[in-house]
Amino acid sequence: MEAMTHGGGAVNDDDLVASEFLTFTLGSEEYAIDILKVQEIRGYEQPTLIANAPPFIKGVINLRGIIVPIVDLRIKFNLGKVEYTPFTVVVILNVAGRVIGAVVDSVSDVFSLTRSQIRQAPDFSGTFDTKYIIGLATVDSRMMIVTDIERLMISAEMALIDSASE
Amino acid sequence: MTIDMSQFYQVFFEESAEHLATMEGLLLELDIDNPDSEQLNAIFRAAHSIKGSAGTFGFTDLAETTHILENLLDRIRKQELGLRADMVDAFLESGDLLRDMLEAHQGRGQVDPQAVASICARLRNLSADESVPVGPPLHSAEEKGAAVVGLNVPVGKRAFDIQFVPTDVSAKGNGLANLLAELRSFGNLEILNQPASDMNSVGYWQLRLVTDAGQESFADQIDFIAENGAWRVVEETVADDVDGDFGFFDNSPGAPETDPEYGFFSPMGSSTDCASAVELPAPIDESYGFFAPLPQVDGSIPAVPAALGEDGDGYGFFTPLPPTVPAQHAAEEGDGFGFFEPLAPPSAPVEAIEPVTPARIISIPGAVEAKSAALPARATKSQQGTAAATESSIRVSVEKVDQLINLVGELVITQAMLLQTAAQIQEGAPERLINGLAQLERNTRDLQESVMSIRMMQISFVFSRFPRVVRDLSSKLGKQVELKTSGETTELDKGLIERIADPLTHLIRNSLDHGIELPETRIAAGKSPVGTITLKAYHQGGSIVIEVGDDGAGLPRNKILAKARERGLLVSDQMTDSEVFNLIFEAGFSTADQVTDVSGRGVGMDVVRRNIQSMGGRVEIESMLGVGTRMTVRLPLTLAILDGMSIAVGDQTYILPLSYVVESFQPKVGDIKTLSNQARVIQVRGEFLPVVVLHELFNIRAQSNDFSQGIMVVIDADGIHAALFVDALIGQHQVVIKSLEANYRRVPGISGATIMGDGHVALILDVSAIAGMAKTSLQKAG
Repeated sequence: MEAMTHGGGAVNDDDLVASEFLTFTLGSEEYAIDILKVQEIRGYEQPTLIANAPPFIKGVINLRGIIVPIVDLRIKFNLGKVEYTPFTVVVILNVAGRVIGAVVDSVSDVFSLTRSQIRQAPDFSGTFDTKYIIGLATVDSRMMIVTDIERLMISAEMALIDSASE
Repeated sequence: MTIDMSQFYQVFFEESAEHLATMEGLLLELDIDNPDSEQLNAIFRAAHSIKGSAGTFGFTDLAETTHILENLLDRIRKQELGLRADMVDAFLESGDLLRDMLEAHQGRGQVDPQAVASICARLRNLSADESVPVGPPLHSAEEKGAAVVGLNVPVGKRAFDIQFVPTDVSAKGNGLANLLAELRSFGNLEILNQPASDMNSVGYWQLRLVTDAGQESFADQIDFIAENGAWRVVEETVADDVDGDFGFFDNSPGAPETDPEYGFFSPMGSSTDCASAVELPAPIDESYGFFAPLPQVDGSIPAVPAALGEDGDGYGFFTPLPPTVPAQHAAEEGDGFGFFEPLAPPSAPVEAIEPVTPARIISIPGAVEAKSAALPARATKSQQGTAAATESSIRVSVEKVDQLINLVGELVITQAMLLQTAAQIQEGAPERLINGLAQLERNTRDLQESVMSIRMMQISFVFSRFPRVVRDLSSKLGKQVELKTSGETTELDKGLIERIADPLTHLIRNSLDHGIELPETRIAAGKSPVGTITLKAYHQGGSIVIEVGDDGAGLPRNKILAKARERGLLVSDQMTDSEVFNLIFEAGFSTADQVTDVSGRGVGMDVVRRNIQSMGGRVEIESMLGVGTRMTVRLPLTLAILDGMSIAVGDQTYILPLSYVVESFQPKVGDIKTLSNQARVIQVRGEFLPVVVLHELFNIRAQSNDFSQGIMVVIDADGIHAALFVDALIGQHQVVIKSLEANYRRVPGISGATIMGDGHVALILDVSAIAGMAKTSLQKAG
C-alpha cells in the first residue's frame, strides 16, 4: 500500500496532472522514475568495498560527508554491459529517508507523464518483479518502464536496509 | 496576566533538578556533629531557589513543601536547632519527594499525597522541637527575609514606566514573552496594562519596572519589539524614596510602628502557620495581597473593603506588587494616586485584571506564602545572577553542539584532503601554500579540540549520586560502608556520562550487596567492620577508565563454576579466573542465595556489559577471594572520534580502533599452526591465539597469502585475545565516526565508517565481533 501513496503519477486520479519522470537506460531497456526521488546525478567513482555484500552492492562512497551505498542496477537486473568508465553514471536517490546511489548505463531524458499515459504492465516473470513496476508508458514510440524506485530500493531483495519493510 | 509561563517550565524543571542535586550532595557531605555553616547556607539557598521559582511558576505543592523544609533548614543554619542525623534523613526524603513532584509536573509518575503530608509533618515536628514558644517559624522567616533581601535593600532602585505597542510580528511570536522575561531579569516587573484578549495580540502595553539597572540597558529590547517609535520609557523618581521610607523589604523595627499591618514580609511563615501564633492580623495581610501573584489579586480585592473598612476600594490599586507600597503611602497621606499615574482610571486596571483566574483565591494561603518567598528568592537570584555573570555560562541545546561537531568533522576531512593534494603536486607546492596549509591544520586541530570539549563533562556529575545510593543501601542491608571517590574531575563526553550512570549504579549496588560483608563477618575475617567501596576515574591512553572496587568477600570461583554447570553452560576447571568471572555477565546468572530487592535476580550484569559495549567500552573483573573485587570499565573518550590504526588488506583500507590493539609483529614461516587442519593458532608469549585472516573473513583478494609477508596484530576485545592477519599497517589517525546504518545496514564485523584524507571511505572494524568470530571458529575446530 505504501507504494500507492507516493508513486508519482500512479495514484493521480486527475488525468490532467502530469508528473515528471527521469528516464535512464539499462542495456536496451528504458526506465522512468519519479524525478522527485532523484537527488543528483554524478559520475562513478571507485567505492569502498563492503565485505560479503551481494555483488550488485558495489560498496560505499563519501558524498560530501555522508556515507552512501552504491547499487549497480545493471548487475542486479543482469542488463547492459557492466563496465566502469568516466562516463558511467550514478543516480543519487533520496528514498525512504535514505540516500542511495544507483549505477545505470546512461541517463536520457526528463518527461512529463500523466496518469492516462501510463498503462498497466502485463504480468510477466523475470528478474524485475512486476510489483515494482507502476506501468508502461510510450513517448515518441519509445517504451518506458515506469518504476517505483522507492519500493524497489527498500525491498528485501536489494538488501540495503536491515529489516526490509516488505 | 496571561503570560504563557509554560515556555519557561522546562528551564524551571532543569534548574530545580540541579538545585535538588546540589542539595543532596551537600547534605551527604555534611558533618552532622559539626556542620559547616557555608554548606548549610548553600543547602538553604538551593531549597530557597526551588521554592522561589516554584512559587513564581505556580507549582504550589513544590513551594509549600520546600517552604517547610526551608524553615527547618533556616533554624539549623542559625544554630537554633542542632543538626541531627534524622533531620538529614528527612531532608533527603523530602528531596526525593520534591523530585517526584517535579517529575509529576512533567507528566511522569505520580506523587503520593500521603507521603507529602507525612514528610511535611515530620519536618514540622523536627522544626518544632526545642522551639521557642513565640511563633518561631515566623520569626525565622522574618529574619530570613531580612537577611536575604536585606542585602538588596533597594537603595538606588529606579522605577521606570514603560509603554509600548509591539509590532505584529513580535506579538505573534515569542518576542513579547522574551521581552517580559528579560525585563524581569532586571528587577521587579509588573504589567499595568496589556491588550485585553491575549498577549499575542497587538495592543497597548504598559509596564512598570523597578530595577537598579539604567534605562539604557533595556531600552534597546523594547525598541526592538515595539512598532517604529511606538514606545516610551519614563523614569519615576518616587520609587526609591518610598521604598526607603517604608523599608520595603526590610522588616526594620520602625516599620511595624508606623503601620504594623503592612508587615510586608512577615507573613512568610504562611498565613496558615502564623495566623494563630502571630500578632499580625492575618486578614489584613491577605487583603493587601502584596505577595499574591497578580492573578490572585483580584481574588483578594473583595476582601479588601471588609478588612479595611473606610479605605474601601482604594486599595484595589495596590494589587500590582511593588507599587503597593507607594500606593499605600499615598492612601495614607490622602494625596491621591499620584504615584500611580498609569493607573489613572482606578477601576480600569482592576477590571482588566479581574477576569484572570478568579478561582485562585482558594489557594491564597499557599500562594501568599509562595509569592512572599518569590520576592526574596528573586533577590537571591539576582545575587546568583551576578555570580553567574562572572562565570558566564549559557545553556545550548545538545543538537546545536552536535551539529557543530559534525561540521568540524567535515572541516578536518577537507583539511586533510587539501594537505594530501598539496603533497601530491609534482614539482612541489609553493612554500606559502604549504605554510598556509600547516597553519590551517593547527587551527583545525585546535578548533576540533575546543568543540569537542564543549560536550565534555566532569564525571562528578555521575559520581555525585553514589554517596546517596551507598548510604541508603548500606543502611537497608545493615552494612557499614564508606565510599571513596577519586578523579571526579575526569572529563568525558556528555552522551557517555548519561549512559554510564546506570551501569555504574548497578556495579556499585552489586559491590554493596555481594561484595561487602556484614560487619560481624568482616570482624570475624579480621577486617575493619566498615567496608570500603572505591570509585576511581582516570584517563589511560585514549580512553577513560572507571574502577569500582570493594574490599569485600571477592568472587567465589567455585560457586560461580558450580552455578554455571547447573545452568548448563560450557565450563571447565581449567578456565582462567577472568574467564570464570566473566560468567557473571551471562544473562540470568546469579550466585546470590536468595533474591532480595537489591539484587540477585541475575538480570543486570548482562545488561551492564551490553550497555558498556554499546558505548564502545568494555568491562573487566579482577577479584581475590576474601580480599575484594575490582570492576574496571573502559570507555572511549567520546563517541564521535576514534583513535584508529589504518591497515591495508588487498586494495582496501580498514580502521582498527587503537584501544583494542595490543601489539603487532611480523610472523615467521611456521609460526602458525593448525588445529584439525582448519583453525589456525599462533603462539605469542606462550599463549596460543586464534588467527583471524581478515581477507578470508571479508572475501577480499589479498596481496599475499604468505603469512610471513604480512603483519599480525594482536587484539584484545573484552578479554578475548586474537591475532588479526593483515597485509600492512598504514598509520595512525584520529577518525570521525560515521554511521554506516544511516543509509545502509549493519555489516557483520564492521562498526562504522569514516572518511579518509583522500576523501575515500574506510570501514571501521568491529573488533569485538571479529574476536567473537575467531573464538567460534576455534571452538568449531576444537
